[in-house]
Amino acid sequence: MRDTLRWAYALNQWNIRMDVFVRHEDQRRALKTLSALGFGHIELAAGTGRWDNLGRPEVIEINHGSPEGFLAFLRSCSVNGVSSMFWDPGQPVEEEGWAFRSTRNRDDHAAIVESAKPFVDFLAAIGAEQLVARPVGSAWMQPPLGRDDIAAIGEVWNSVGKVAAAAGVGLALHYDCLSAVHTADELRRLLDATDPELVGLALDTAELTIGGIDPVAFYEERHERVTHVHLKDTRYADTGEEYRMPGAETTMLRGGAGRRIERWFFELGTEGGLVDVKAFVAALRRHGYPGWVVVESDHGGNPAELAMLNSWYLQQELSVART
Amino acid sequence: MAWTKWSYMDHWVTETPQGPQPPSFNRAYMDRYIKQLSALGFKGFDTFFFYLPMIEGMYGSVKAFEHFLQDNGFEKITGIFSAYPYATKYTAPHVPETHDRIVADCMATVRAVEGLSVENFIVMPSTTYFQVEPVTDEKIKIMADLWNRVGQMTLEHGMRTTCHFEFWGAIRTREQLDLFFRYTDPRYVYFFCDTAQHTIAGVDPLQMFRDYRDRCTGFHFKDTHTVDEHEAYRTPPDPELMAPNVTRWFYEMGTEGGLVDFPALMREIVTSGYDGWLTVEHDKAELGGGSYAEATCVAKWYIDNVLAEAQAEAEAQLEAGR
Amino acid sequence: MTADQLAQRSETPERRIKWSYMDHWRSNGPAGPVDQWHSHRTMSSFLKQIKAVGFDAIDTFDFRLWQMYGDYGGPAKYQEMVQDHGLERIVNIFHAADYDLRNYAPHVPETHENILEDFRVTMGHWSSVELDNIIVMPATLYYDMEPVTEDKLKISAELWNKVGEITAGYGVKLTCHHEFFCGIQSEPDIEVFYSYTDPRYVSLFIDTAQHCIASVDPVALYRRHAHRVSGFHFKDTRNVAAGDDHRHRPDSEIMAPTTGKWFYEMGTPHGLVDFEAMMTAVRDNDYRGWISVEHDKANKDGGDYAESTAIARWYAVNVLEKIYR
Repeated sequence: MRDTLRWAYALNQWNIRMDVFVRHEDQRRALKTLSALGFGHIELAAGTGRWDNLGRPEVIEINHGSPEGFLAFLRSCSVNGVSSMFWDPGQPVEEEGWAFRSTRNRDDHAAIVESAKPFVDFLAAIGAEQLVARPVGSAWMQPPLGRDDIAAIGEVWNSVGKVAAAAGVGLALHYDCLSAVHTADELRRLLDATDPELVGLALDTAELTIGGIDPVAFYEERHERVTHVHLKDTRYADTGEEYRMPGAETTMLRGGAGRRIERWFFELGTEGGLVDVKAFVAALRRHGYPGWVVVESDHGGNPAELAMLNSWYLQQELSVART
Repeated sequence: MAWTKWSYMDHWVTETPQGPQPPSFNRAYMDRYIKQLSALGFKGFDTFFFYLPMIEGMYGSVKAFEHFLQDNGFEKITGIFSAYPYATKYTAPHVPETHDRIVADCMATVRAVEGLSVENFIVMPSTTYFQVEPVTDEKIKIMADLWNRVGQMTLEHGMRTTCHFEFWGAIRTREQLDLFFRYTDPRYVYFFCDTAQHTIAGVDPLQMFRDYRDRCTGFHFKDTHTVDEHEAYRTPPDPELMAPNVTRWFYEMGTEGGLVDFPALMREIVTSGYDGWLTVEHDKAELGGGSYAEATCVAKWYIDNVLAEAQAEAEAQLEAGR
Repeated sequence: MTADQLAQRSETPERRIKWSYMDHWRSNGPAGPVDQWHSHRTMSSFLKQIKAVGFDAIDTFDFRLWQMYGDYGGPAKYQEMVQDHGLERIVNIFHAADYDLRNYAPHVPETHENILEDFRVTMGHWSSVELDNIIVMPATLYYDMEPVTEDKLKISAELWNKVGEITAGYGVKLTCHHEFFCGIQSEPDIEVFYSYTDPRYVSLFIDTAQHCIASVDPVALYRRHAHRVSGFHFKDTRNVAAGDDHRHRPDSEIMAPTTGKWFYEMGTPHGLVDFEAMMTAVRDNDYRGWISVEHDKANKDGGDYAESTAIARWYAVNVLEKIYR
């Protein structure tokens, strides 16, 4: 994309089950698809195991020999590099013995900082800018946050931010609609509990909207803290506090219960979309936003189709030149 | 009489508004899936250990899910599959220091199905070959020791630990299999015959069944079109999906080019007097445009027509010999 | 034109090649796979995707005419919708005739008047939009024409000369697309056929995959006839037809015993078409105009139209446009 904003695309929708998107030729097809649509950078997502072979530095190395080998793989498909990588330290992984860790538990902090290091080193080695992290687990899995909990969460992210900054990598905390940090006020408190020099906010337009926070207004309010953006749309807001339902990942986000909404996230320009994408992007331009804008189609449908529709929106509705 | 103890091993993928997903997508999809299997006449249901928490979430408990199965004509949950396909510093069957952790994990799985009458605790006895090689007698013995421990524990809870060998695992040749079974205690460790996996590894599943009949507690009836003659089993990080020249290893029974002689196996099963569960497994059936629903229907057609005939032949022969 | 637009134009030299996308498409809807003509919504989504990945225009089938009238108010109105999505226009239409020895067969002279009337009517229907080509398969299915004799080729050529004269009256070229399973598909038969046709009225449309399947080198064929080539379908194949693949009823594209899926997008592994040589030949002949990308039955065996289309554009941008653009 030729624009003053820097555009990237997340690969997450291609890797939607544990045994897909494993063969290199499948990954090449996704990379070529994004390249043809004008996206020169991608966002990775952390995962686990041998089938998630873009999900962990050591597995990427088995596949490509080295960070340079991985970059060569991307470049063979005319993709120039990696903008960022999403990582959730609360997601148990095989490589960490399926340990269940929480950022609000100070006893877990040392292990969380340690587990961030391979990702930070890898991102630095491939010239990526941001480690995008889930700051805290889902609300339904824990008691409400007290003031000290937010302080504890802030501490661990300051520590991770320090490690990342030392390697020249940014750390951006990603708000999501199931998170225990749910309201705008809680999000403000989390930002206030972290060091602006070390920790930024990854603003996801659809997640905020579902969670009842206006992404344009919040960006206007805290634009100096926003270091990363996920751009996607939604047709629904969580008006019934479905995020508190047990198993909200399934009961809410896959329509297992509640209002039975089986798909929440949609492409830019979707009918009935709640995100004012044009206003949001105009605000980014007005404030001279310097980071990556990562377009996502996660939890959508056919990934190539959605990437094409998103690219169309950028070109036709946001006047971004494809090449 | 037709063989009624057919169970289905849970790998299903179905279309959802979020793309093709396992039926655990949500409860409604899971219900539809069970109804589809029920319509085909399956009586047993096998699943993976990692689906148990999701089943609890959707149905309230594993027991409640089993009731749902029973409401749909199933007898019960027949097998739980547990595995450590990828070695980590915490879990690797060939590394003794990790055994306590693995036994504890298995115990957790066993507790999740406590009070049901699951028969088989199916395990992959090793991780990927490339993480174990060189495969020595000593390493096979270490793995055998682990499964002896696990087997004794599961038996105390009414389940047999039974070993399912991948073509890409560290125990794959006939010699390695024989050695492993020599090192394991027949009271605690059983044999689970996956027809496709053995065939790919160049091992005759029919002969394996003949030789380990007394320890055999189940089968995965699935087919393959390819014998691994180019050491694909050593492909890092994963030979099952990343082998250089084979994009799809597994097929349902009855496809053109299938290598497994299912009628011969069925005759052998009948002749041997085996009366346990037979399981249909379709692993990655969606590759190349395949559909799990269709593959399962075609496999059941094969059971009802081709295998039923083989069964009848063998029973007639047994009768004539009496 | 603003100063910015002028500056942008000076940065981007006039392209000699533009890319069009031929109609085939499937996407998954809640009720199963549908094509883009399913609804306004699916059409809009299709056009957005084609535009997003960098195509300039579309081709279509002329049997879509009635859907265009019913759903959009006719070809001109439909083309307005195409343009609203940022695409230039409809470039070519494919006249997929239902050949029948009784009333519609190019090698059967008694059917010619019926065919000519069909084209008079068809061209009238399409006169509201500016087209480059009307593309035809110039013969019946192979099994309906065999044995293919010089006489039959000559009779067919005479028909298409007359049809071409009609279409030329509307400013549209009549151009022939040789499916591997039609009566005029072998190299000698193609050569005889063109020797009897009038270059003013009958053009050649090179389908890279179809020629390859029929054991005809599309690059050599193009180089021999470049002066009368009026367009291309760029698509690939991995198989050459063997035995009697080309004469299976009712449709060899689907029923041929050796091959379940014939067509793949450009850049596919094990593809038989030498696209770089093709593009070099296009450059050498100073061809200017449209190249069409076609994905026929791309969703077979787990394939996906959207992905194939994006990958074909990746190939055009990263490989072919480096040779000629």
